[in-house]
Amino acid sequence: MLRIESLSIRLGDFSVRDLSLEINSGEYFIILGPTGAGKTILLETIAGIHPPDSGRIWLDGQEITSEEPRNRNIGMVYQDYMLFPHLTVEKNISFGLRQKKMPRNEQEKLVAEISALLEISSLCDRYPGTLSGGEQQRVALARALVLMPKILLLDEPINALDSQTRQKMRRELLRIRKVTGTTIVHITHHFDDVYTLANRIAIMRDAKIVQIGEPSEVFLHPADPFVAEFLGVGNMIRGFSIQDGDLVQINSGNGRGFYAASSVVGEVIATLHPEDIIISQAPFQSSARNCMSGTVLEINPFGSTVRIILDVGFPLTALLTRESCRELHLETGSAVFATFKASAVHVIPVSRS
Amino acid sequence: MRRFSLALTGIIFLIISIILFTLVTWSPLVVLAASLSDPEIRFAILLSLVTSIVSTLVCIAVAVPVAYALARYQFPGKQVANLVLTIPLALPPLVAGIALLLFFGTTPWGKALEHAGLGVVFTPLGIIVAEVFVNLPYMIRIMRSAFFGVNPRFEHVAKTLGCTDTGAFFQVTLPMARHGLIAGSVITWSKAMGEFGAVLMLAGATTMRTETLPIALYLNISAGDLDLAVAAATILILISLITLCTVEYLDRDVTVF
Repeated sequence: MLRIESLSIRLGDFSVRDLSLEINSGEYFIILGPTGAGKTILLETIAGIHPPDSGRIWLDGQEITSEEPRNRNIGMVYQDYMLFPHLTVEKNISFGLRQKKMPRNEQEKLVAEISALLEISSLCDRYPGTLSGGEQQRVALARALVLMPKILLLDEPINALDSQTRQKMRRELLRIRKVTGTTIVHITHHFDDVYTLANRIAIMRDAKIVQIGEPSEVFLHPADPFVAEFLGVGNMIRGFSIQDGDLVQINSGNGRGFYAASSVVGEVIATLHPEDIIISQAPFQSSARNCMSGTVLEINPFGSTVRIILDVGFPLTALLTRESCRELHLETGSAVFATFKASAVHVIPVSRS
Repeated sequence: MRRFSLALTGIIFLIISIILFTLVTWSPLVVLAASLSDPEIRFAILLSLVTSIVSTLVCIAVAVPVAYALARYQFPGKQVANLVLTIPLALPPLVAGIALLLFFGTTPWGKALEHAGLGVVFTPLGIIVAEVFVNLPYMIRIMRSAFFGVNPRFEHVAKTLGCTDTGAFFQVTLPMARHGLIAGSVITWSKAMGEFGAVLMLAGATTMRTETLPIALYLNISAGDLDLAVAAATILILISLITLCTVEYLDRDVTVF
């Protein structure tokens, strides 16, 4: 378990202020936040690159605050991979093993194992400059994982890849965690990562963590308007999707199915912006493909808007202005209809490892 | 415009070629060979090689850590340090030589060095000192820009992979800055081979004692022995060519000035 206690550090324009955090062993933890929130400097401080101005860090019950990076057994993969350009792929991967002065034949065995796991065995003699982004990513992961780190820190590992490689890489990361059991701390500003990967997430803003929790929990109950706005997408609905004409029908929990303009079938997560949902007291006659009946669970005012949580068989968050909320005479328990277009639903396949 | 600039380029090219050609072909090959085996020229070649190699090694040993500090660390007075380290670049070597002569010839610490058997004024050791003083700023600047070009995150990763600070420097940063190191060394060495003004002032121009190739060229032309002077000049041109080719080959990621 990694425990961070009131950590503060300032480096140029970037800082972390009085930050506390606990990450469990084996967990996939995602830190989400806008650019400049201090995410990278937090990772580097966990890795031991910068000594903190104050605060303490424990790893598995041992304090490592002033331990040198090389003694921490924490791996790090940067966004730009930082593969050593003057070394071959094989020498890059075995770099950490050479520091340990491990016998050559043991090194070769471990490098072969990790290369096979990441499917990069055929790249061994090449130089990093000749690899694609996805390949470099795998080599960087292999270089960190071959040392069997207690924690693997990933700095925006997926952003630099094209969308197809991204999807593959997410599956890969899940597989890696399953095979190695490594705790993974991953920073990103990409929501799709959260849906498919995270056990828990933390939202970071202005050098601080504003909310920690399971993804669905944070999405349903944002701690403050910033989180709500930053997350934007208020609804994550897990379900099963089947083709129906040129749309798909998604069934979730014990609710009625709804339609989405997509071609993704199988296990999915559907996302829906709260402001795309229209609330009415009578069924809404329109061209929208989905009209679902439900009851109001919660009414949460946020600045000039109101966040309504409905039960339509699964929880659904809608966003109303204060005015329309008053006009509809909404209160907890009210029976209402929620209407949204099939094209407003975003469908993400669930990666199965 | 096009025709004019192309014509001018051609003319300049021709003039430079003819001037260098005249020099290299001045003495017939037999005479050149004889001059090259002259004891005085052979002494000058040997002395130039030894002093330039030693001074280049000193420059590398000093410039690498200093350039690294300037590229990586923040410290008070960094801007002043940058400036002072650059001044010798703009200084005419003759002036640098006079400054060195005064420093080593008239101050108590200069005299103390002489008593300790490390006399610098008018000695071969003075040649090395003068070359280091003039060339060190070049080496520092080249290495500083080479280290600037290496993202510090490479070192960060190396440290998480088990390196000490020193290990990360020698296994990652220095190899990644190797083009700068090689180009800087070659430039420093060739400048040391050709250094005249500072050497003349500090080490003097004593035949067969502090007579490097440029000094030999100067002494022989003064004495009217054109063949020996041309032999020295030919060797110096050869060295310039080697330097130019090396730097052109490596200049992909090297800023010289």
